Amino acid sequence: MLKKLSYAVGAAALLFGLWGVYIRLFEGEQSANYGSYIGWGLWVAMYLFLAGLAAGAYMLAAFDYLFNVPAFKGTGKTMLWAALVTLPAGLASIGMDLGHMERIWKVYLQPSFTSFLAWMVWGYTIFLILIAISLYFAFTAPEKKAMKAVMWIGFITAILVAGGVGFLLGGNAARLYWHVGLLPVQFPVFAIASGAGLMLLIVGWFMPNMDEKQRGDLLWLLAIISIATSVAKLYFLVADYTQSLYGGVTDNLIAVNYVLNGPQAFTFWGVQIVLGLLIPVIVLAQPKLAKNGFVAGLMGLFLLIGYAAARLLIVVPGQVAEMMPGQAEAFVGPKLTLEYTPSLMEWSVTSAVMGFAILGILIGMDYLINRKPRSTEVKK
Amino acid sequence: MSNELLGKYASEVFAGLVSAVGEVEISAAPAAGFAPSEDVLVRMERELKRALEKPASERRWVMVIDLRRCIGCHACTIACVAENKLPPGVVYRPVMTEEIGTYPNVTMKFLPRPCMQCEKSPCTEVCPVNATYHNEEEIVVVDYEQCIGCRACMAACPYGARTFDFGYNYAEQLPVFDGAIIGGETAAGYEHASQEYGEAWKREGRHESPVGNVRKCHFCLHRIKDGILPACTTTCIGRATYFGDANDPESLVAELISKPNVVRLKEELGTEPRVYYIV
Repeated sequence: MLKKLSYAVGAAALLFGLWGVYIRLFEGEQSANYGSYIGWGLWVAMYLFLAGLAAGAYMLAAFDYLFNVPAFKGTGKTMLWAALVTLPAGLASIGMDLGHMERIWKVYLQPSFTSFLAWMVWGYTIFLILIAISLYFAFTAPEKKAMKAVMWIGFITAILVAGGVGFLLGGNAARLYWHVGLLPVQFPVFAIASGAGLMLLIVGWFMPNMDEKQRGDLLWLLAIISIATSVAKLYFLVADYTQSLYGGVTDNLIAVNYVLNGPQAFTFWGVQIVLGLLIPVIVLAQPKLAKNGFVAGLMGLFLLIGYAAARLLIVVPGQVAEMMPGQAEAFVGPKLTLEYTPSLMEWSVTSAVMGFAILGILIGMDYLINRKPRSTEVKK
Repeated sequence: MSNELLGKYASEVFAGLVSAVGEVEISAAPAAGFAPSEDVLVRMERELKRALEKPASERRWVMVIDLRRCIGCHACTIACVAENKLPPGVVYRPVMTEEIGTYPNVTMKFLPRPCMQCEKSPCTEVCPVNATYHNEEEIVVVDYEQCIGCRACMAACPYGARTFDFGYNYAEQLPVFDGAIIGGETAAGYEHASQEYGEAWKREGRHESPVGNVRKCHFCLHRIKDGILPACTTTCIGRATYFGDANDPESLVAELISKPNVVRLKEELGTEPRVYYIV
């Protein structure tokens, strides 16, 4: 039932998203609400979210293939597949954000290696290839040394690309809200946190046929990981915000107030903190509830929504302070504003990306990972 | 309107223009060593041509803006828009306006902000495809055909000096009808005739560069190469903007930036801007 519902949600999201994708591809970016002062919006945030999800999923696959954690046994393939789907989804999101996406090949053939963005494009491409190779070995020779070697390289790459995304923002000295040394440190934690959220959802809702004890142990372990990473994230958040508020630097005050009391207050308090953190932590702290597949999956979904909101609240507030006093009023024109709410077209494109990810994961699980052997194979 | 009031609150040039009687006391001339009868534009144009005789790598173009002389007329902004045929939402040289003080001690501060042409430019470092870079004269330029439109340079610029071309046109809503002096199509043709970087940019449709690219001030390189000062400089009615080769010790700009009352914006970031402000 849950699977059918998820298929329907994925298909509906994809269908709604096709409209936005059409508008974006054929009519350009005018119907997006990001502009020249807030140049990065929802699509960049969803790229951070989905790319982090891929890194996190890969790290959790390593719990099976590298660290041999008993509760994770047999789940590595699914998580590798999830990584293989969510990473291209993230790259599609950032691809739609490019003014000239048809020139993306230039990053490969004419890169500038002083650019961290170029390094990230290369890094994610290598990571995607590593995921694909890992998955190939997972199907063909999971016990071979080559598999372990690739998984180790992939595991380290996952940490580096996750941290690299933090650096992509944090390296901007012009944006004080981003320019904190902890940002690249936080992102690998965010990655594993979102990976655990995704795994709670997958195991809780879509893997009911697992051995019951193993499934219970796994859900409980994922609950502990989720609680631990949520607490760590909360600590980062409190440290970051109190330091900004205490320090009183104007740009930081503007950004933090924008999150806490400004137009994004509901996204922060309602979605990120209550739905995405408090409720899952409280519920998952109860072993009985955490081991219940439906509840665990629902909490995984809440965690993921919270993490996605958190990405938006890192990307946008970093751009809400004027670079120069009076900038917003100095010249009037479209897209010259410090206000940002994603447009319907932007939501639609994100819907397509999410629909792709949901359907991709489900179809892969049903027809690739958990494919029932054909009758002839059974006879053999 | 008393001369005293004008002397205190208005720019010297503006005060001189509107003062009906007597003379407004004008502080030291922006630079010594040139005949008072000669417009600074004449001198700067002469110096510009002298600089062009040198190899490009030996020039150091700088802009100096005298904030005491800026009257906030925004002529430079509009001249830039007209010169570079900037579409709606794209601006290279806005003038920031700030109200200072409380009544009766209140005044306005105007800060024209072109691209700072930083020597250590964060924007060029972050570009993944070398689409924005220092040209042979160390001016930060954008190769529209190379830019992928990622806007990383926009995020990196500490001065907000870059805007994105979303493909808007001023003329797109104009009606077209017979006998129109300037109908939509004619206006669009004019609007698209940008000569930036010495190339004709038709900018047709929603996808043709520079649509989908980040754009910025380039000190009117296409004018400089022909010995013409940037549009903002020649249009400044207060003669508050100066341009020239700082490597020429005889130049006006070299004289101006050697004074102690010269500042650069956000120096603490280590970007080494080539735009100086006299305060």
